[in-house]
Amino acid sequence: MHTAIQLILTSLQIGAVYILFSLGLTLIFGVMRIVNFAHGHLFAISALVVAYTVPLLAGWNLPALPAYLLGVVAAVAVTLVLGFLMYVFGFRYFQRDMVGSFILSIGLVLLLDGVFLKVFGGAVRPVPEILPGTVTILGAPVTAQRLALCVAAVIITALLYWAMTRTKLGKALRAVSIDHEAAMLQGVPYGRIAFAGFMIASALAALAGALIAPVTIVSPAIGADYLIKGFIAVIVGGLGSVPGAILGGLFVAAIETVGGFYFDATSATIAIFLLVIVVLLVRPKGLLGHG
Amino acid sequence: MDNLRLPYWALCTALALAVTFVVRDPYLASIVNLISIAALVAVSLRFVMLIGELNFATAAFMGLGAYAAGAATTILHWPFALALVFGGVVAAAISIVFGYITLRTRGPYFLLIGFAFTEAVRILYSKSMALGGTSGMVGIFPPVGFDAWMPSLIMAVAAVLIFALYVLERSDFGKILTAIRDNENVARTVGLNILLCKVACFAIASFAAGIAGGLHAFANNVISPGDFSFLVAAFALAYVKVGGEDNIVGPLVGTILLVTLGSFALGLGGQEHIFYGAAIILAVLLLPDGITGLARRGYQRLAARKGH
Repeated sequence: MHTAIQLILTSLQIGAVYILFSLGLTLIFGVMRIVNFAHGHLFAISALVVAYTVPLLAGWNLPALPAYLLGVVAAVAVTLVLGFLMYVFGFRYFQRDMVGSFILSIGLVLLLDGVFLKVFGGAVRPVPEILPGTVTILGAPVTAQRLALCVAAVIITALLYWAMTRTKLGKALRAVSIDHEAAMLQGVPYGRIAFAGFMIASALAALAGALIAPVTIVSPAIGADYLIKGFIAVIVGGLGSVPGAILGGLFVAAIETVGGFYFDATSATIAIFLLVIVVLLVRPKGLLGHG
Repeated sequence: MDNLRLPYWALCTALALAVTFVVRDPYLASIVNLISIAALVAVSLRFVMLIGELNFATAAFMGLGAYAAGAATTILHWPFALALVFGGVVAAAISIVFGYITLRTRGPYFLLIGFAFTEAVRILYSKSMALGGTSGMVGIFPPVGFDAWMPSLIMAVAAVLIFALYVLERSDFGKILTAIRDNENVARTVGLNILLCKVACFAIASFAAGIAGGLHAFANNVISPGDFSFLVAAFALAYVKVGGEDNIVGPLVGTILLVTLGSFALGLGGQEHIFYGAAIILAVLLLPDGITGLARRGYQRLAARKGH
């Protein structure tokens, strides 16, 4: 029982980040029909900025929590600038062109890989502990930092879900992702909505990166792992579907945790891959996919 | 079957082989090997693009071919030619199973599942002790007498396979493939078994990728899981895109240009990734049809002016 609770809690912690990550991927795909491999780099630059600024601010005798919050603001700002540049100079010209946009994103991946390595160096950098201490839930210990991460992820996901179902912008985003031409006939300004979708997805990647930075070791290559898992999550859930991304993220995290506990990390990765094959055999468009 | 432009092919292959006979510097020879193998991978990638799918599993099948050829040589002590063909056959056999499952999906799903497959296969090699684990497999040597002629041999094998893929593209089978790309449902109404045609196309391309992997193993004598990451497919895509995907000449032009420039940039101490990344971004933004597309447009404009 104790083990089960511990495993569930670990899955939720990992799943929280996967969900934020795959929500961005699924949002971009839904609105613009593009597959953005450079999404992992938006995530990575945010984590890198946090890992850079927090020790710097802590050096000026700022307490850990304000230093971290300032770091998060800086990270989100930098990521949004990068996302803006990507959209304005690149993806804007490749909307609804899956092959073209994918090739562009591969180019961006290679370019940013090189640039990050030059700017930040290859070394991993630790972030000092922000919230010390551990909390016990149903007899299973969890560090306060990881608990805060989960809570933040749940709040962000709930906010996004609310925005997608209740606000005008959210409704427009969903309309565009179901049928962009019908949406345009109803007076939805497609170009502006696509831009908004891309920036929201960038912000989600930035928040995920900033949240994961204190509980992991940050290196310029941090995005690649999450990118693979995030894409598997959206394939399982169905590209373009918001509930699908949440479901897929939890699925991948659960298999990774349980498989990693009873066997090893390699078997867990292979198991995730087999899961994808099974899902595609039964439902070629993912569990909740439609279009 | 229409005109195959045989004289051009014969001339270009002869020229390419002549280059390999002249090159005696080991560094230049390694670049020539790199070009031959990369060109074969790029043409294999483009062959699946005929049905409108981006095949990121190319890297996985290249790796499977390399490891199969390597295992046949170092563990089973099979002769060189047999080991090479074995690599291609293993890649094709696995691709039939993989393709039968995954080719029911299309577009982004197929692309992403290929990407995941590449990473899963790479983890398998690095965990398999028999295949050398993370450090890879060593001692995959071609027969002793062949050493000096490896660049010519690799070029010849690559040229034969590229030509075979070209013949297939121009045949009726190739027309079925482009029909599937243009509209799968119309092709189905004529009574074609779409899934079977797609799997056949995928298996043929994977055979070529497997042979390319075997050639890579024999050219370098050492293979490791890191050689077959998804970047292999990303680079191949860069060659196809920069050269132009409309014509089989495109990937060849792209490969020769980018590999040569890339080796040069590496020699200058430049960063390979930044170079390739910038090349891909500029190519998709500025040259939507690649270099061959640009050349053809220029030629047509020139011809039109002469006509007046």
